[in-house]
Amino acid sequence: MEMAQGPDHSRTKALRRTRYTAVFVTLAAAFVVMILLNINTGSVNIPVGRILKILFLRQGDANEVSIIWKIRMPRILQSAVLGGALALSGFLLQTFFGNPIAGPFVLGISSGAKMCVAIVMILLIGRFGAASSWALILAAFAGAMLSTAFILAVSRAVRHMAALLVAGIMIGYICSAVTEFLVTFAEDSDIVNLHGWSQGSFSGADWSGTGLAALIVGLSFAFVFLLAKPIGAYQMGEAYAQSMGVNIRRFRVQLIILSGVLSACVTAFAGPVSFVGIAVPFLVKRALGTSKPLVVIPAAFLGGAVFCMVSDLIARTAFSPTELNISTVTSVLGAPIVIYMLIRRSR
Amino acid sequence: MNTNHLLLNHLAVGYNGKALLCGIEIGVKRGEIVTLVGPNGSGKSTILKTLTRRLTPVDGEIFLAEEAASLKRLDRFSPSELARKMAVMLTGRLQTELMTCRDVAAMGRYPYTGRLGILSEEDERKVEEALAAVHAQHLADRPFDAVSDGERQRILLARAICQEPEIIVLDEPTSYLDIRHKLELLEILFRMSREQGITVVMSLHEIDLAMKLSDRIICVRDGKIFACGKPSDILSEEMIRRLYDLDPQLGRFDIKTGSLELSFMAKD
Repeated sequence: MEMAQGPDHSRTKALRRTRYTAVFVTLAAAFVVMILLNINTGSVNIPVGRILKILFLRQGDANEVSIIWKIRMPRILQSAVLGGALALSGFLLQTFFGNPIAGPFVLGISSGAKMCVAIVMILLIGRFGAASSWALILAAFAGAMLSTAFILAVSRAVRHMAALLVAGIMIGYICSAVTEFLVTFAEDSDIVNLHGWSQGSFSGADWSGTGLAALIVGLSFAFVFLLAKPIGAYQMGEAYAQSMGVNIRRFRVQLIILSGVLSACVTAFAGPVSFVGIAVPFLVKRALGTSKPLVVIPAAFLGGAVFCMVSDLIARTAFSPTELNISTVTSVLGAPIVIYMLIRRSR
Repeated sequence: MNTNHLLLNHLAVGYNGKALLCGIEIGVKRGEIVTLVGPNGSGKSTILKTLTRRLTPVDGEIFLAEEAASLKRLDRFSPSELARKMAVMLTGRLQTELMTCRDVAAMGRYPYTGRLGILSEEDERKVEEALAAVHAQHLADRPFDAVSDGERQRILLARAICQEPEIIVLDEPTSYLDIRHKLELLEILFRMSREQGITVVMSLHEIDLAMKLSDRIICVRDGKIFACGKPSDILSEEMIRRLYDLDPQLGRFDIKTGSLELSFMAKD
C-alpha cells in the first residue's frame, strides 16, 4: 500500500496537461476563426481571396483596402484586446473579494469610469473640439478608482458580499444617471455620439486607439501574469496567504490598480461592457478544471477576446444595417451564465 | 539546546492598540507542545494571531529563534523568511474552487518556489511526503471541497508540513472533528514535535486532551494569563472550575478521569 502513488500521480498530471492543452488549442482556434469571420462580414461583401490579398500583399481596390484596414481590422483587434482586458479585470476583482460574482460592471467600476469619461469628453470637446485617448484613459482610471474606493469603504462596513454587490449596483446607477443627465443636456453634435458610446460599442475603433489599448492591456497582462503566484495563495484566503509570505497590503493595492487600469481602458475606448468579466473567468475555470492562476490568466484573456469578438459580430450583423450596443449582446450571452452560477452556488 | 525557541516578553495583545490580554511572559523550547486553554472569547485566538503577525503586539515583544541560539524579534523577519519558519492551520472553513487536495497541500511550498510558483520535482516529492505523513495519499486527487471535515483538517495540516516549518501554530485544530479524527490529528502533531523537533503552539477546547498532550499549558481568562506551566503542576479541579467558572451545581471536571461529570443529573 506504500507507494502505488508515483505512477498514478504522473497519470493525473498528464491528464491535466492534456486538458489544458485542449482548452488553449480550442480557444486559439476560435480566436483565428473569429478574426476571419469578422473580417469577412460587413455591409460590403469582399471575397476571401481579395481579403487575403489585401491583408498580406496590401493590394486591391482602394475602397476595399480602406474598409479592411481602416475599419474592420482595428475594430476586430480592439474588441479582442478589450475583451481580454475585461475578463482579466473580472478575474482580479473575484480574487480580491473572494467571490466569483464580482466584476467591474456589477461593482459599478465601469460606470464610475464612464461618468468621468463623459465629463472629460464634454469639457474637452466643448473647449477644444477633440479629446485625446490619453485624457480619456486617465479620466476612466480616475472614475474606476473613485467607484473602487467607494466599494472598499462599504466593504469595511459590511462583511456581507450580497450587500457589497448591491452597493456596487447602486453606485453604478448613480454614475449612469449622472452620465445620462450630462449627455441629455450636452447640445454639441459631437457629444451626441457620446450617447452611443455610453451604451458600449466597438464601432469607433481606429489604429491609434487600438495600439494604445493594446500597449496598456499588454503591459497590464504581463504584470498580472507575474502576480499568478500570490493570486494562487490569496485564493486560499488572506490569512493563509499572509502566513506563506505574501505582502498582503502591497498585493491588494496591486490587484486594485491593475483591475482598475484594465476596466478603465475598456471604458475609455468602448464604453461599459457588461458581464464579460464574470462569465468568462467562470467558463474558463470550468473548462480547465482548475482555478490555478498560471493557466487561468492566459486562458481568461483569450476567452474574453473570443467572447467579445463573437458578441461584436452579433452586434454588427444580427439586425444589420442597424448596429446593437455591445452590452446588449454581452448581457444576453453573459447574464444567463451568471444566473446559472448563482443557482449552482446556492445548492 | 536549552535555549528558547519562542519568547514572549511582557506581551500585550489586542485590536486597534487596545489591549485585550496583557502581561504575557512565556519562553517555549524547541519541540515543545504548548496549548492555550480558556473560555471562549478569552483571547486565545488573539494571541495566536499576534504570534503569526496577523496582529501587531499592543505592547511588549515576541522573539523567535533565527538560528540555533540567537533570537530575533518577530517583526524583523521578512515575510518569506518567516514563512519558512512558521506555518499556520486555522479554524473556519476554507472555500476553494476547483482545487484538489494535492493542490491545497502543494500551496505550502509557496516560500520555496520561484517567481511563478511552479513546483520542482523536489517540491512535488515533499508534497507527497506531507500527504503520506497525514495518511491522505488516497485523497490527493479528490476535490478539496468534496472531502469530509476530518480529511480537510489533515490536508490543511499537510499544507503546513509542506512549508517545512520549525514552529506550527494551530487555532482549534480539533473543532469539527469526531474522536477518531481528533486522535489521528493529535498523534501526527505529537510525532512532529518529538521526531522532528517542531514546536507546536495551539489552542484547544478539550482540556482533557490538552492536559495529556501538552508540555506546557497556558490558561487564559479575563484579560490575563490565569496560569501557565506543566499540566501536572498547574491543573487542579479547583483551578479548572475557576478558569471556566463552572457551577458546581451543574458539574465538575474530574481531573483523574479527564471527564466532565454532570452533577445536575444526580440531583433527584
